[in-house]
Amino acid sequence: MSPDGQSRGVKAATSNNLYTIILALAFFAVLATVALVAYKCYTQYGTILKIP
Amino acid sequence: MNTLTKILIVLLTLSSIFLCGIVVTYVANADNYRQKYNDLRADKDSLSKKVEDFTKQVNEKIEQKRQLEDKLNSEITSLKGEIGELQTNLDNAEREKAALLQKVNSWTSITKDFYQTTDKQGQLLKNTLDELNKVQAEQIRQRKELNETTATLVEKMAIIETLESENKRILEEKAELQKRLDEFLQPVGKIAAEPVPVTPREDIARPAVPGARDIALQGLVTAVDLKNSIASISIGTADGVKEGMRFHVTRGDEFLCDILIIDVDTEEAVGVLELVQQQPKVGDNVSTNL
Repeated sequence: MSPDGQSRGVKAATSNNLYTIILALAFFAVLATVALVAYKCYTQYGTILKIP
Repeated sequence: MNTLTKILIVLLTLSSIFLCGIVVTYVANADNYRQKYNDLRADKDSLSKKVEDFTKQVNEKIEQKRQLEDKLNSEITSLKGEIGELQTNLDNAEREKAALLQKVNSWTSITKDFYQTTDKQGQLLKNTLDELNKVQAEQIRQRKELNETTATLVEKMAIIETLESENKRILEEKAELQKRLDEFLQPVGKIAAEPVPVTPREDIARPAVPGARDIALQGLVTAVDLKNSIASISIGTADGVKEGMRFHVTRGDEFLCDILIIDVDTEEAVGVLELVQQQPKVGDNVSTNL
């Protein structure tokens, strides 16, 4: 293992964590959107999936 | 992790965020169609109810209209009957009117003839009254002459009575002379011959006994009311005036009128003017005999 090799391993781990956070952000955004749509459907129509 | 994966992660994330934003914006601004549906349904129900009410009202109005129409039809029928009856009455009235007009015309002609007859009768009455006045005036004149003749007769009767008493006295003297002559001639056996009067004997006229005695009341006219044709005189019951007596009013030798006494007081009497030849005045003479 060389210093350059270690350096390259840390940088890759940081980059992977960053993209994981980005994916998590996208997931939560999609989740929040789904929750909002479900809430609106339930409050307005009394059901989530079934057509009233 | 290669570069393509990273790019896909970033693009996926960005697209997810973008789509989620669009969805959130759309959902946040979306209309509440259930609420609108409920509102519209409530409006529909209320409108349906209103439609039912209006339909019921329309039906009621139609029923009322039908009843009113039936009623009006019955009234029209009855009015047509009345019109027929009134037409019949009108025809009868027209016929009666024609008959009455004919009667009026006949009565008009009759009335006209009656008026003409009345005029003729009035003229005849006027002529008769004129003749009556003339006859009454002639009667008054004849009564005056009769009174004068009666006065003359009374005077003659007085003369006759005087002559009869004279005749009686002469007959008594004749009887006395006859008696003396008989006494004078009987001793020598003679009697006096029946004397023959120089004047032939005539039948003795016998005066008629007056049937009534004139009371000869006299007075003056004290008041005259020509408007009511009445007058008052200056003598009354104290002088022997009675109701129903007739006084003659004269001025000098002129006859004016008669007064028929209708009311008598002690010193005054009131009567109605009759046979007025001239208007009497206060101070004219009144008497029961002319």
